[in-house]
Amino acid sequence: MALKEIQSTCAYCGAGCQILFRVDEAANKIVEAVPANGRTNAGTLCLKGHYGWDYLNDPQILTKRLRKPMIRKGGKKSPLVEVSWEEAIQYVADRLNEIKAKYGPDAIMGTGSARGPGNEANYLMQKFMRACIGTNNVDHCARI
Amino acid sequence: MNYFVKGNPDLCIGCRTCMIGCVVAHEGKHIFEVDPDSYTFNPRLHMVKTAKISVPVQCKHCENPACMAACPAGAIQMKDHAVIIDTSKCMGCKSCMDACPFGAIDMVTEAGKFQADGKERVVANKCDLCSGIPGGPACVRVCPTAALTLVKEDELADAMEKKRMEAARNLFRDNQE
Amino acid sequence: MGIPEIEDAGCLLCFGYNGADSHPIVARRIVRGKQKGMKIICVDPRVTETARISDMHLQLKGGSNLALVNAMANVIWNEGLADIKFIEEHTNGFDEFLKVIEKYTPEYAETISHVPAEEIRKAARLYATTKPAMILYGMGVCQFTQAVDVVKGLANLALMTGNFGGPSMGIGPVRGQNNVQGACDMGALPNCYPGYQSVTDPEIRAKFEKAWGVPLSDKVGCAITHVPHRVLEEKDETKRIHAYYIFGEDPAQSDPDLAEIRETLDKCDFVVMQDIYMNKTGLHADVILPSTAWGEHDGVYTCADRGFQRIRKVIEPDPGLKTDWQIIQEISTAMGYPMHYENTEEIWNEMIDLCPSFKGATYEKMEKYGSVQWPCRDKSMEDKGTPYLHKGGKFATKDNRGVFYATDWHPPMELENDEYPMSLSTVREVGHYSVRTMTGNCRTLRNLEDEPGWVQMNTQDCERMGLVKGELVKILSKRGYCITRCLPTDRVKPGATYMTYQWWIGACNELTNAKLDPISNTPEYKYCACRVEKIKDQEWAENHVKELYDEIRTQMGITAGKGDH
Repeated sequence: MALKEIQSTCAYCGAGCQILFRVDEAANKIVEAVPANGRTNAGTLCLKGHYGWDYLNDPQILTKRLRKPMIRKGGKKSPLVEVSWEEAIQYVADRLNEIKAKYGPDAIMGTGSARGPGNEANYLMQKFMRACIGTNNVDHCARI
Repeated sequence: MNYFVKGNPDLCIGCRTCMIGCVVAHEGKHIFEVDPDSYTFNPRLHMVKTAKISVPVQCKHCENPACMAACPAGAIQMKDHAVIIDTSKCMGCKSCMDACPFGAIDMVTEAGKFQADGKERVVANKCDLCSGIPGGPACVRVCPTAALTLVKEDELADAMEKKRMEAARNLFRDNQE
Repeated sequence: MGIPEIEDAGCLLCFGYNGADSHPIVARRIVRGKQKGMKIICVDPRVTETARISDMHLQLKGGSNLALVNAMANVIWNEGLADIKFIEEHTNGFDEFLKVIEKYTPEYAETISHVPAEEIRKAARLYATTKPAMILYGMGVCQFTQAVDVVKGLANLALMTGNFGGPSMGIGPVRGQNNVQGACDMGALPNCYPGYQSVTDPEIRAKFEKAWGVPLSDKVGCAITHVPHRVLEEKDETKRIHAYYIFGEDPAQSDPDLAEIRETLDKCDFVVMQDIYMNKTGLHADVILPSTAWGEHDGVYTCADRGFQRIRKVIEPDPGLKTDWQIIQEISTAMGYPMHYENTEEIWNEMIDLCPSFKGATYEKMEKYGSVQWPCRDKSMEDKGTPYLHKGGKFATKDNRGVFYATDWHPPMELENDEYPMSLSTVREVGHYSVRTMTGNCRTLRNLEDEPGWVQMNTQDCERMGLVKGELVKILSKRGYCITRCLPTDRVKPGATYMTYQWWIGACNELTNAKLDPISNTPEYKYCACRVEKIKDQEWAENHVKELYDEIRTQMGITAGKGDH
């Protein structure tokens, strides 16, 4: 079985370690993670870098992976109901437009994410808040 | 002579990557895919932290092992420069655990194997220097600060020679300076 | 400075930074530095792994940072150890600074920090006389109501000793989460567009208005830590927050005073959560949008030393998922502001063209060099980025001069009292990350450490209270309580307790204080008053913890398995 090797940056702290993932493409699964020779990590990894990737196969230890958009159709405290992407996107867009029309753009707050999503998603989120919503109410968990 | 893994508290940062590395080496990589409750997590070395020291403690692979002498089942043998427990022969009497002066042996359950009372089988567990595992001791390989080293005869001889040189210098410092 | 430069410093002042638990691979550089002869001064209320190998450990009382920093400056000046040439040629504000630090004699600082005056003197001398000297600081500086003042205080030390503008010197914040630097770089901040360009500067705003084709707000936005106030207490309906779009965060676990956060989420009209795993915030969200995780999408992270590095899709995500940027662009389009990006590189290219300091950091360059540290202003392959800032003592101010700022020390906002006689500080668990939705679902990391976590307490306190290692205890503040296990250790001082914020049962943020630093708006996670109570019926407590864990798992949608607790 030929394994594909893909290098990526560790998601678990600001050290920016480079990890080489060995992937079984046919089975779409990671076989192992080994240290790559990155600028900051120089061929070493800590326990999270070595062993922090198997959450991807959803072992259901602490929480369950989200796979479908969900809406509380009966308002706060009502159960979450699975819906299609089209419905979820339209629902969010309508509710945000409604709140913006009623109270103005500064009534809406958005966050970036200092964790897994990456810079491009953060750029787009702040662009969305500033250009589409019309507010500078965007921040992230740097302070947390 | 037997080999052993030595920890250096000046380099250790107490992160315990070694403990997981040990389990992964012995259980196999499949543990990242299986039901999280279907394997046992039994590291063969343990991080010890006092006010001033952090270092993993594991079997020293003694030349005259107290554990081996104490084992009534003949389950402990020396081979490939290591002291190794054959868990299939282990009767779980805890004599070895009791005899070891370093606390390097503990009693653990084996996943999927059962004993007479129907409970999971309990056996003695300790470092085997990753006997039969390619690349040698996993703890040494995964440590991010190179705090662990596999000590063989050559390393021992070198280290002893350095120590003797140091001792000689210290003894005759006054004459030299 | 760059992370690899740490090990070549002559002296490291490691202040409120516990690399071994928060960034083991940065701690590795500290260990290597020590082996190469680097002198280490560690300032921390606990015996951390760095404190253990340090040349001097100033085990100060929590909450006394600024008094100690100002006293070090006082010694450096009074003993004639300052670099007067550097101060004259490259800085402003020194005289005003001297007036403030005058009263911080080591003897005065000793009364606040409980560090002997002579030790403060020795540390100041060691820092000022060993070149090059580097300062690393972490959350032990930032998570106080007096945080920015201490950062400036540390910068003062580097300025007055001329430790700027060369390799292995200066002052380095070691950012906690993997992409905090990136989220800041990208303008996920209420006062800046991407590239630290101010939203209140008309010229810059005009540039972004032109690029994005719409008029933009000139008003600084709301900080994340002000959201509870803006939902619960704001009377003006146009200023109240009515909708909260939470993306890749779990405030109901990570933010201080969780009871207040839950109330905030319940009282906010519309809460959207976009994440990979169900979490505590999801219990209060009106809509949940599932996205791809690290390992399932492409992009760029910025590491703590400003290095842009690629992340790559390692496995194919579940076909029902969308990436975060796809979800955002679809909502934006549905709201009437169309976005049509095909991939992350398109987004990246739009961004770098708007940010002079990032302009040269193309995907091509990241592929070729692995890591590109900004500023990187030119797209030619020759501009490989900038390992350290302020080269030649030139600072990013209008006149290129560094500025001294000094302020007086003040105590933390909530001090020990009769009812809550001990202090609590939040810390990190090395094998777990942030709110634990990722590492809490990693098999072996969970095996190593699991709920309900530990409270570190001095052995004398434990003996007095009759507590042994592993015993379940109740820990309370005036805001809430939780149950966790007792860990007696001589690495912490009597009267102080430490808990890692990763645990859901042993959730220390039920206790923490939401008071903020006035400039950075960072909460005072590192200090509040608490009380530890012994639980007589340990069998009940063990069962209770088990029930709590089962309850959490059920709430999080897990039906299978027994867990391991």
